[in-house]
Amino acid sequence: MTQLCANGVTKRFGGITAVDDVTLTLAEGEIHGLIGPNGSGKTTLLNLLSGYYPIDGGALTLGDTPITQASVQKRALQGIARTFQKPRLLGSLSAWQNVMLGSWKHSNAGFMPTALALPGMRRRERQARDLAYEMLCGVGLERVAERPASMLDHAEQRFLEIARGLAMRPRFILLDEPAGGLTEHEIEQLASIVATLREAGLGVLVVEHHTDFVFRLCDRVTTLNLGRMIAHGTPREVRDNAEVIRVYLGA
Amino acid sequence: MKTRHNIHWPLAIGVAALATLPFWAGNPYQLHVATLIGTYWILIASLNLVVGYTGLLSIGHVGLLAIGAYTFAILTGNYETSPWVAMAAAAVLCGACGFLLGLPSLRLPGFYFAMATMAFALMVTEFSLASDGLTGGGTGLSVAPFNAPFDSPAGLYWLVAAVAGIVSWLVWNLARYSWGRAMIALRDSTVTAAATGVPVFRVKLAVFTFSGVTAGIAGALFASLQSYITPETFVFELSLFFFVCIVIGGRGVIMGPFVGTIVLAALPELVAPLARWGQLFYGVLLLLVVLLVPEGIGSIVRVLRDKFAPRQPEKHVVAPDLPRLAAAIRGGRRP
Repeated sequence: MTQLCANGVTKRFGGITAVDDVTLTLAEGEIHGLIGPNGSGKTTLLNLLSGYYPIDGGALTLGDTPITQASVQKRALQGIARTFQKPRLLGSLSAWQNVMLGSWKHSNAGFMPTALALPGMRRRERQARDLAYEMLCGVGLERVAERPASMLDHAEQRFLEIARGLAMRPRFILLDEPAGGLTEHEIEQLASIVATLREAGLGVLVVEHHTDFVFRLCDRVTTLNLGRMIAHGTPREVRDNAEVIRVYLGA
Repeated sequence: MKTRHNIHWPLAIGVAALATLPFWAGNPYQLHVATLIGTYWILIASLNLVVGYTGLLSIGHVGLLAIGAYTFAILTGNYETSPWVAMAAAAVLCGACGFLLGLPSLRLPGFYFAMATMAFALMVTEFSLASDGLTGGGTGLSVAPFNAPFDSPAGLYWLVAAVAGIVSWLVWNLARYSWGRAMIALRDSTVTAAATGVPVFRVKLAVFTFSGVTAGIAGALFASLQSYITPETFVFELSLFFFVCIVIGGRGVIMGPFVGTIVLAALPELVAPLARWGQLFYGVLLLLVVLLVPEGIGSIVRVLRDKFAPRQPEKHVVAPDLPRLAAAIRGGRRP
């Protein structure tokens, strides 16, 4: 079972320590929740895991491979997918094409084979298109598959971003506030999708403010405050932790 | 994405009309203009990948065109190389120039990249003026025609049209498969591109190098068509002209810049009163497009449709198909 590990990871911006000596492991086939007040470093930690910022201390590993120095692209190709707080889609392309962008690793056959439309390239393209369609159906977006992503509503864009991440055929997927802006009903749909990701063997990291969503769904929960890890364990342990109640959940 | 293999009638008629143009063109001058537009299009088609798809503001492609043209003129004139070999050499040399220019400058942010390409174009002009032993300096060089049957105006037109057709096909393939999505991702969001594993720099460099190769080919054909080239043939305005064709035509589409090229190149030549006002005509058209249809004339149909028959965003209830999702993920993960 592969694990994505952050070992004593630290990140400073100027004089502020945004993430301070945090250790976290994400295993395949589990849902790991990351909660904490605003500014506690949740999204920064997610950006460190996916490679958008270099870390100032500690180490990152994927299985036995150190990925501390690896670029965003390299980590993506090694099986770490992610979504963004505000969905980052290509608005002028169809939903379907957006999902297919996720399959770059599998559909790209090189510059010349693409320019010449060689049969091998077209076969890869067909496979990517078929897989993308399955992903779209899977998250419930087949009716808007041909529509430009900019025409989709907020929930559809969120689910589309997950589908794009899945088209990367990842081992881990990092979701940055996936429930943000969704209705109760849509959060239910999201929960069923996230549970399915676990069932299919993916490791899912969920950064989220909807604590109900997190405690109900996650196998383990980590709580950050001011960049430090203040609690870590099962949802029940974290929910009952005195400091978590004090700084985040409230009485 | 269409998998149908129906004949695309407007396209078929357009291709047929262009293929038979020498038979119905009114006079030799019109044929000359059509050939000129063809050479421009060979350059603009791939520049469109750079500017319209990848969002790189290259305004220095006239430099590459000039290098291609001089390479062809010098090799055929001074060394009696066959025109075919000279054209291939122009393509290779301009590809190398594109690569070497892109290597440092493609890491620069947009505005500075534009400045770097402009500096390149100005340097090429100065070089062609200064090294008169090689390029004839300000006097210029006469250029050899292609071998028969491409030495007649109609023959050269067909050669240019064939090359333009091949380049259009290559560009179309690059635009509609994985590379097209990667290029648009680089234009609209490098964060998204990186998150999906697209190697940002490598894609930019490959596309820019490709545009250098076709600029070299365009330069060779352009030189042969003009039959005499001087540094003044390659004024910086020509570079802006290429850029404006793409902006007016619309980014992220292929037909838009094609129409833009024809309109901008042909109208001042064929409508006599416009000739005197050529630059003003470009300016006015550019202003109108940027103000009224910023996505280019290629989008006019869509803009009008959205204005008069707006599509209501229908609300669908998102209903995930979980077993299908799980199967798709497992299927994708199977090695």
